Amino acid sequence: MTASRKVTTQQLVDLVLDPRDPGYEAAAERHGGQAPKHWYDQPLVAAGALVVGLVLAIAWVHTNRGAPAAAKAHDQLVSQVRTAEKTAGDLTRTETALTNQLNAVRAAALSGSSQLVRAIERRQLLSGEAAVKGPGLEVTLAEPTAAGAPTDGAGRATRGPITSSHILIDRDVRSVVNQLWSDGAEAVAVNGIRMTPTSAIRFAGDAVLVDFQPIASPYIIDAVGNPDGLITGFAASDVASRYQTMASARGIGFTFEQKDELMLPGSPGTVLRYARVAR
Amino acid sequence: MIAAVALVIGIVVGLILRPTVPTWLEPYLPIAVVAALDAVFGGVRARLDDVFDAKVFVVSFISNVLVAALIVYLGDKLGVGSQLSTAVVVVLGIRIFGNAAAIRRSLFRA
Repeated sequence: MTASRKVTTQQLVDLVLDPRDPGYEAAAERHGGQAPKHWYDQPLVAAGALVVGLVLAIAWVHTNRGAPAAAKAHDQLVSQVRTAEKTAGDLTRTETALTNQLNAVRAAALSGSSQLVRAIERRQLLSGEAAVKGPGLEVTLAEPTAAGAPTDGAGRATRGPITSSHILIDRDVRSVVNQLWSDGAEAVAVNGIRMTPTSAIRFAGDAVLVDFQPIASPYIIDAVGNPDGLITGFAASDVASRYQTMASARGIGFTFEQKDELMLPGSPGTVLRYARVAR
Repeated sequence: MIAAVALVIGIVVGLILRPTVPTWLEPYLPIAVVAALDAVFGGVRARLDDVFDAKVFVVSFISNVLVAALIVYLGDKLGVGSQLSTAVVVVLGIRIFGNAAAIRRSLFRA
């Protein structure tokens, strides 16, 4: 037991201290301390060295070919995402144009009964399908500027880099939106995306999603409503005091100000697949 | 001398042909590289010690590559492939360093 352990230790010491392949020594000893000469010595060494060089070159080529391939795949994916985003944007624009056209045609068709037109407009207003304007409150939440990359105003995530710090998440945007609703807002938009009755503010990866569209800091929440009621209600709320504390403690940007005129876009409209009017 | 020329020719041929490494061979490439470097340094050291032997050079290179590949193959089958591959690289790396130190000693007497 002791002997075998000794041998093992000795082997390890040999491995570290004397790493020469004992094969050379043994071969030299066999031939009396002098390297023997054979006819095949030179070709053998040449072939061995050739293989060694080949292996090194192949490894080098392989390593350097792999990197551009990965970059190419990445670029391809990015361009695919960009194309899909462009398609989505085009489709949204088409939908908005068609909705406007539909509204115009309907207004023309219903020109006889202004009561019906008003009822439809009111429903579109409430469901967030029609663009609205009016006085209200604008709340801005932003990641700390020192840690994050500079952003160019409120944006969809594609317009600027997603900031490196992630203090603010979907919950923060959502609580501000809910507070504004409870303070009497009549229409709310987050970074230019109109809130509808079916809107969801969620978190996926590192991005806040509003109705499946990623948005990036700063988060600008516009609410149309009675401006005095909104600002007094919001300023006194727990939500506002929480973000005031976070602003001084963790350096997030948090401001809210009264606006005389806010323009909120309409949402492309909700398609209801299952809900039917109960009569 | 002829070995150095053949080494350069091998590198040039590899760079010109740019062969594609099959996927199943990829895990063994780093091991082959380290074994190749080990064979080169071991050969140079033996040459400087005047005990160089063509047969030992070729056989030790081939057997090192095969044994290392076998160890990694077994490790792959048993779920410790990357760890064993690291072990092979470390062991051969120690040999390379030792041989490089010996070469330095016999070249510069320092």
